Amino acid sequence: MSALTFELKGKPGQRLDMSPLTPARLKDLKPKEIEALAVGATRVALTVGDLFKVKGKDASALRFVGTDARCDKIGAALTEGEIVVEGDAGAYLGAAMKNGKIEVKGSAGDLAGASMSGGNIAIDGDAGERAGGVLVGDTLGMKGGLLTIGGNAGPLLGERMRGGFVIVGGNAGDYAGGRMIAGTILLKRKVGRFAGYGLRRGSLIFMEEPKELLPTFGDCGVLEFNYLRLLEHWLRETGRPIALGGRARRLMGDMAALGKGEMLILA
Amino acid sequence: MSELRIKGVTIVETFAEAFPMVGTRIIITAPNLEWALIAARTMTGFATSVIACGAEAGIERNLTPDETLDGRPGVAVLLFTMDTEKLQRQLRNRVGQCVLTSPGSACFAGLKTEKSLKLGASLRFFGDGWQVSKKVDGRRFWRIPVMDGEFVCEEKTGYTKKAVGGGNILVLGKSHAAVLAACERAVKAIDEVPEVITPFPGGIVRSGSKVGSKYKGQIASTNDAYCPTLKAAVKTALPLDVEAVMEIVIDGLTADSIAKAMRAGIYAVAEGGAAQGVTHITAGNYGGNLGPHHFHLKEIIA
Repeated sequence: MSALTFELKGKPGQRLDMSPLTPARLKDLKPKEIEALAVGATRVALTVGDLFKVKGKDASALRFVGTDARCDKIGAALTEGEIVVEGDAGAYLGAAMKNGKIEVKGSAGDLAGASMSGGNIAIDGDAGERAGGVLVGDTLGMKGGLLTIGGNAGPLLGERMRGGFVIVGGNAGDYAGGRMIAGTILLKRKVGRFAGYGLRRGSLIFMEEPKELLPTFGDCGVLEFNYLRLLEHWLRETGRPIALGGRARRLMGDMAALGKGEMLILA
Repeated sequence: MSELRIKGVTIVETFAEAFPMVGTRIIITAPNLEWALIAARTMTGFATSVIACGAEAGIERNLTPDETLDGRPGVAVLLFTMDTEKLQRQLRNRVGQCVLTSPGSACFAGLKTEKSLKLGASLRFFGDGWQVSKKVDGRRFWRIPVMDGEFVCEEKTGYTKKAVGGGNILVLGKSHAAVLAACERAVKAIDEVPEVITPFPGGIVRSGSKVGSKYKGQIASTNDAYCPTLKAAVKTALPLDVEAVMEIVIDGLTADSIAKAMRAGIYAVAEGGAAQGVTHITAGNYGGNLGPHHFHLKEIIA
């Protein structure tokens, strides 16, 4: 069976709320019923049928084709199945998702993976601000799962994160890992200012030494970390070979907060 | 009745009587194989018999760096006791005193089962609040700060109640040297079988026991029927020309693995043939009333 595919016919005149289009919601619906689902975000009613050419049958694997940055809430609160986005995604991509898999070939807007608690999001391009951060109305950021951003991440990456793993292939903005409670962020390139601001627990792993470090982090020197080998092994086994090595400079902080978090700057 | 023989060595038509045990496996890694082995040997020391050691334990096999979670050389260790509560206590004490303490070590689960035993979940308290919990691939690991860096220890490991202890073969021969050499061969062959260990010194026990004693409070005593120096005084099981008897005891995670190990052991013992001085291979049992697992030698070599 081919994936249930939604091809955007033209530029929508308003932002869209794509959250009804999840495998769990669509699996028992007939094509007519799917086309009647409302995806508009204004008083001008818009349905799936108005905007998308719907093809394919397998609702456990959804494909969105030609989407742009106004397509919000793709895979929000996802609980199962797989979504592939061949285009860009708007805000709230996979926000509060619990399980399943989302793959975006383009870039994503703000709050990608915000407050997600499980599952897997892979964004080939960039992510906006607060990726893996706190969803509006929530108290905690990302709680579990894996968020991979191939390009750059905006500011407040992983804000108030409570668990899970974030990988940023490009640069990250200011306040990366701000007020983090637990979890791990792996930053392959540069970060902005104030990384780890208010860090309580959790790990920020830097492959490149940050230009500016908060003065409220204390140095433990360069040490061996078997944990890094464990991570490297897992990354390799899951098809993301990233050479971490076993040595890193450990900075503990934020001493202005609980101070049990760490920055590991690979040596 | 024709006698069973392999290369002239008589296989006595009897059976090994074995008991249900609870067993677990953990993986110990270290900067090199030598240190993984040191940690594993220390942890499995004084673990020959549950009678007085509290547990039976041994090294199952060595692991190459590509077989371990942290890409370092490692060792798989098996630990057995008679019930789950004892297994938990033995695991905590042995890993806590012998692996946590060993330079550069790390410790991971070696079995995945629905129910599990605490591993890092109890050892983490050594970190005195500085321990760090990390989830990797859905599994929780504890990073416990120690003087040489960090002891990485998985939260829990699985265990099985289908383990079997006390699989055995007895080797009879015309000289001590011949029996020892044959048993060494057998232990080597059994080493290749997965899921089993031979917990006694070098895998061999020379003081097989019977249940009970003439002395009050002595629960096990020497197996006089197999003592060559007592042939004239007791109801001996030994022909006059037998000079020594040694036993190989096998514990395994499954009954099937014990059978495979016994088979490998028997063929390795008989390999040299009767000409090298081994006369009989038999097995220890208590008449079949005590243990539910009976490994008949005839079926095992078939």
